[in-house]
Parts: sequence; structure tokens; C-alpha cells
Amino acid sequence: MAELQLREAIRAAMSEEMRRDDKVFLMGEEVAEYNGAYKVSKGMLDEFGPDRVIDTPISELGFAGLGIGAAMNGLRPIIEFMTWNFSFVAFDQVVNNAANIRYMSGGQFGTPIVFRGPNGAAGQLAATHSNSVEAIYANFPGLKVISVSNPDDAKGLLKSAVRDDDPVLFLESELMYGLKGEVSDDEDYTLPIGKARVARTGGDVTIVAHNKSYHLAMNAAEELAKQGYEAEVIDPRTIKPLDIDTIVESVMKTNRLVIVDESNPFTSFASEVSQQVQERAFDYLDAPVARVTAADTPSPYAPNLYEAYMPSVDEAVTACRQVLYADA
Amino acid sequence: MAITIEMPKLSDTMEEGVLSAWLVDEGDAVSAGDILAQVETDKATMDLEAFDDGILLKKMIDEGDAVPIGEMIAVLGEEGEDISDLLGDTDGSDDATGDDASSEAEAASAEAASSQPEPASTETEATASPAGDGELAERTPEPVPAPTNASGERVKASPLARRVAQEHDLDLGSVAGTGPNGRIVRSDVEAAIEQREAAPEPTPETAPAPSGDGAPTPQPAPAESVKIDVGYDTEPISQMRKAISRRLAQSKFTAPHFYLTIDVDMAHAASVRAELNERAEAQDRARISYNDLITKACALALREHDYVNASYHADEGEIRLYDDVHVGVAVAIDEGLITPVIRNADQKGLTQIAAETRELAGKARDRELQPEEYEGATFTTSNLGMFGIEEFTAILNPPNAAILAIGGIRDEPVVEDGEIVPGKRMKVTLSCDHRVVDGAVGAQFLDTVRGYLEDPMTMLL
Repeated sequence: MAELQLREAIRAAMSEEMRRDDKVFLMGEEVAEYNGAYKVSKGMLDEFGPDRVIDTPISELGFAGLGIGAAMNGLRPIIEFMTWNFSFVAFDQVVNNAANIRYMSGGQFGTPIVFRGPNGAAGQLAATHSNSVEAIYANFPGLKVISVSNPDDAKGLLKSAVRDDDPVLFLESELMYGLKGEVSDDEDYTLPIGKARVARTGGDVTIVAHNKSYHLAMNAAEELAKQGYEAEVIDPRTIKPLDIDTIVESVMKTNRLVIVDESNPFTSFASEVSQQVQERAFDYLDAPVARVTAADTPSPYAPNLYEAYMPSVDEAVTACRQVLYADA
Repeated sequence: MAITIEMPKLSDTMEEGVLSAWLVDEGDAVSAGDILAQVETDKATMDLEAFDDGILLKKMIDEGDAVPIGEMIAVLGEEGEDISDLLGDTDGSDDATGDDASSEAEAASAEAASSQPEPASTETEATASPAGDGELAERTPEPVPAPTNASGERVKASPLARRVAQEHDLDLGSVAGTGPNGRIVRSDVEAAIEQREAAPEPTPETAPAPSGDGAPTPQPAPAESVKIDVGYDTEPISQMRKAISRRLAQSKFTAPHFYLTIDVDMAHAASVRAELNERAEAQDRARISYNDLITKACALALREHDYVNASYHADEGEIRLYDDVHVGVAVAIDEGLITPVIRNADQKGLTQIAAETRELAGKARDRELQPEEYEGATFTTSNLGMFGIEEFTAILNPPNAAILAIGGIRDEPVVEDGEIVPGKRMKVTLSCDHRVVDGAVGAQFLDTVRGYLEDPMTMLL
């Protein structure tokens, strides 16, 4: 085990896979000469050379399509979006080609490709640079969506994503690139896609939260513990395919569910979890499922408004107390 | 293609019907227009007509069964047609109840349930191991009607609270909810179960133990009233009794009633009636009763007092003032009462009113009244004078705004011009719906009625 930053764990995963398999390559804006906009790919140009660590023009539609074509022809590209906000100009390639080619070709072509980059709001970046994309992409059959909260999960899941024969969207976070954690240094360390992690056990209320929201949920759980309530915190890690069994099992124990998700609320990941839980554990719910999400507005720039827009520990604690009938 | 025959709506107020008699058998050929059965509604016994040709393949209900409007009562189709899809599961159970006693595996459960062996494997316990993939989704618990509280409102409870209450056979209607909007949550149910278990078992009554010193102790009054066995017979509540109960309760509980009584001098009416009946007999026309005179008097008075010939409709936010005058006349029959209607009574002559009333009363007693003969009254009268009743109050016949209760005609001394002379007097009492009819309006109407009855010739003007 080694203590790595999130960016280092991602770099380790990519580098190990590129050493293991020469079909794997990295392509994106500023990934090579500049060592990555967030220094994720620092040193990789030196190790793997310009044929496998490729700088692109500012043309997401172009290089996303290039990657999909390469994948169809047997390579295993990792396409970095500087942020997932920029994936929208490559939307057609991702949702119509990457997601559908296996189906449209009757199984003749697969697209073993990974699209990765930071997702979600990251401070005062304003509306166009603060989108959360997991719900829209997860809506399309054919796409796997992973969103990680810590360096170890990032390494294990990114390696699984590279080895997967279908397109995987891998969501990181600008604010967490410096987050440190113990990471396995096993070069074959993989974690299964579609398996949630029970990060904290408790019997009073279940909190489901991924990516940055996971840390918010853990802080809320600590606060609740001071108030005498033990929260069980589940990090789904994979948005799709969703490990609903782990969530349902926990809800059957605690009878209450709060989902913390910094996306906008409408048709969000939080909505989906809520729906699946009521389908499968209705008779075990003692309170309506509660969500803590961003507001249903564009992300504001003004710091006071931004603070109000984003979910907070206080809101998560309040939501938990509400489903616990603690203030009834 | 088989056709289902459903319980038809045979009157405005009908909610269910009793199939009083089948007139065809299964296998009989019927033609459109044939009478298949007789149906007892809340008002009358009516014929159930076939609208199609075919063979009566199946009777779904037996004589005497009561079913709601729209429920399937028979299937009509072609000879030998397969109608199993129409019958649904009702017949399929024959297979399940077949004696499979030879199966040793089932012997144990069959022993426990000696009456009806049921397939035991179909039940899934809620306590089965959790989280098996798909297991939860497939589990289909029996639907349970939403419980209601004492005031009939739907009980708000969390799904978990409902499940726990059901497992402990606890009525949620008796549990107070502490959640938002009074929602019952698990802790409420658990508290109620705890309370129930803590409550002492009801102990059988025992004689008080004699006190040790033998001194007489005053007997405390028994806490519970002494139970005395009162024998009784039971009979099912008929459709008509149900209708009377429902409509009159609705009337008495929603329409604010008030009552006006007036004493009418019937001496003149008696002599006019005698004279008229002599002529009616001579012409072989129907004899006129006092009641017919009153029907006519009321009909003419209603023409002059719009708000008595009216009804109040809260839901529609309107008061209806009727164009026509249709007087309902309450008729007692064996199973209750019914009010045949004399339509446009203000425009009919006395002998016509007399003839119609007699005919409709006869049909009512034979339970042959058709809906058009008893629906649509705008005013009603009820007469108990023939039983020696001097005066009484009637419950409004909804939606009528008024009903007139007619007492008997009394021979009694009256004072006329300072002299005591023999007189004939009759008391009538008007029940009014105060939402439409105010005291003065009702009083003026009664005064008009009295005017007509005390001088019947004015009715001819």
C-alpha cells in the first residue's frame, strides 16, 4: 500500500494498464506536453512517448470519435475530457456511437473505450463549467458510469474500466485530485464494476452518496453520531450498473434512506435510487425517501449563492433527522 | 362471441339489485326481448330483458343474491361456446380442491387444515432471507384495504408501520400518529403493541371475596351493566328498507327541517265531496277521496308559491324552482312505503287524480310500479288520517323542499258566531327544508291550501 493523491492513483492505473497492454493509449487536451490540465498524466509522455500519450486540438467531437473508431479497430483508448462539461460537444459520439455500436452492428464491433475527467461543480466556475453528467449518461443503455470518491477506488475501478470491453465513463472531481489515501500497489489490483461499498455501518438511517457527496455524507454521519443516531453510509461507486441490492439490504435494516447527490434534482441519480428502493423495499420504509441535492437552477457564480446552491452537511443532517422523525 | 349480462340500473337511486327469480334455465335459447329474470330494486320488482339472441350459457348468481350494478349475472352465447375466459378463476378452483390425498408430501398440511387443503408452496413469508435478487420484487403480498380511523378518514401510516401493525394484528385506526400530518410511524405502532400487551387481560367477573371479619361489606355497584339475554329473530334488510334508510337519513341529517301545523275546517269540503261523488258514481267515474281533494289543493297552491315547489342542491350551488307540479303521494305497502307521482296534478281534474292515485297505489302494493311512475315528485303528501292519527310530522322526501303530513278529520264542537256547533276539522303539518323555504313562505302556502280546502269550489275557478 502507498499513500497517493487521487490524481496519482488515476495516473498509476493508466500507466500500469499501458505497460500491461500496448493497445491502451491516452488522448486529450493538454495530456502530453503540459502533463495534464490537473497534472493527472504528469510524466506519462516521457514514459510512453507521443504515439501513446496524444495531445489533441480543442475538438471534443473529433477526438471522441477518433477514439471510438480506434476502439472499434481493436485499440483501447482512454479519452480525457478536461472536464465533463466539454463532453457535451462530443455528445453524439458518446451516446449514439460508443453506446450503440455493439448493438447496431449485431455484436460485430465493440467499443472498449474509457472516457474520463472531472465532473460536477468545483467552486466558482459558474453555470457552464459546473454540470453533473452522471444522470444523463446513465440514462443511455450501453454506457457504464463510474464515479469515485477516493484514490483506492479510483485505481481499482479505472483499471477495471480499461479492461472492460464496453464503453465506460469515469467521473472524477477537480476538488478531489489532491485527496490522499492508501492505495494498493498491486499492478493487477482491480475492483468490480457495479459493486457498492458500505463505508460506515449504522442501524438508524442509510445515506447513499457518491463522489464529493460521499465525504459530505460521512461528515453528516459524524454529526449525527454526536446526536445519538448511527448512519450507514453507502458509496455506490458505480452509477450504472447500480448495486441496488446493497442499498436495499441496508434500507431493510434502517427503514430510512437519504440520498446526497450534488447533481440537479430532476431525473437525477437520487431520483433513480429513490424509485428503485420504493419498488423493492416499500414495506420496509418508515419515512419517505429524502434527497439532498443541488438546487434546480444553473450553478451560480456569486459565492453566497453558490453556497446556497450546493448541498451541505447541515442539509444532510436535517434530512436524516427528518426521516428519523427526530424533531416530530 | 359470448355476451355478458350485467345487473342493470333500473332506478335513479338503485345501487344494487336482488335477483328475485330466474325465468330461463341454463341451456335455454332466448331471443332479444325475452324476459330472463326478475330483479328486485330498492323500489320495485322489474323485468330483466334480453337484448340479444343466444343460448343462456351460465347463470353467475342464484335467486336471492344481491349484486351491485354492473356486476355480471349471466353469460349469453352460442351453444357449446368456451366461456372460461369470461368466468375467470371462479371455476378453476375445482382442480385445486380435487382430492390429491395420495400425495404423501401434502399429507401433513392436509391434516392441519382438515377442511380445505390449500397449495402451501405459493405463500412467501415476509421474514424470508432478505436481498435475494428479484425475490423482493416478485413478492406480492395480499392487498390490504387502507385502514380508516373512527371518523372514516384514511389512516396515514408509513409502509413499515402498516406492515408491523398487520403482523401484530393491530388496527391502525386505533393508533395515534406522531409523524408529520399525523402519520403513524413504526415507533407509534410498537408503542401501541406494547400498551396492548401491558393492558391486563379482561378477567371474568368474580364474586367479591368475603372479608375476613365477616362484617357485611357494601356491595359496589357493578361496573358493567347486567347482560340480559333478549331473544330475537333476524331478517335480511330488503332493498326497499335500505333505500328508505339511506334516503331518509340523508334527508333528516342534511336538510334542516321545521314544521308548521294548521287546522282546516273540512265541513264544507265534506258536503262538496258527497255531492261530487254522487255525480261521479252516476257517470261511473272514480270516487273522490279527501286525499284527492288535498292533492289538488296542494297542486294549485304550489303554482302560487314557487319556493315550496323547489329543491336545494348544495353541490351544484343552486336552488331549482320547478316548472311543473308533480305531487308524490306516499303509499304504505307490506315492505315499506313508496310515493307514486301524480304528474301535473295542478292541471288534472279531481276524478282523474282519484283514478290515477288509485291505480298507482294498486301497482305499488303489487310492486309493479315503473320508475317513471314514482320518480320526479316536486312535492309530497303523506296521510295517516285513516289510522286515527290526529297530527304528525313527516321527513322530507329528498330533494323536495316540503312535505305535507295529513291527519284525520275529526268531528268536534267548534265555535261559530259565538255558538258551539258540530264541526269537522283536520290538522295538516308542513315539513319544510329551511334552506329553501322560510317560515313565512311555508305559512303562506299552508294558508292557500287551507283556503282551497275550506272552499273547494275555488279549485274549479
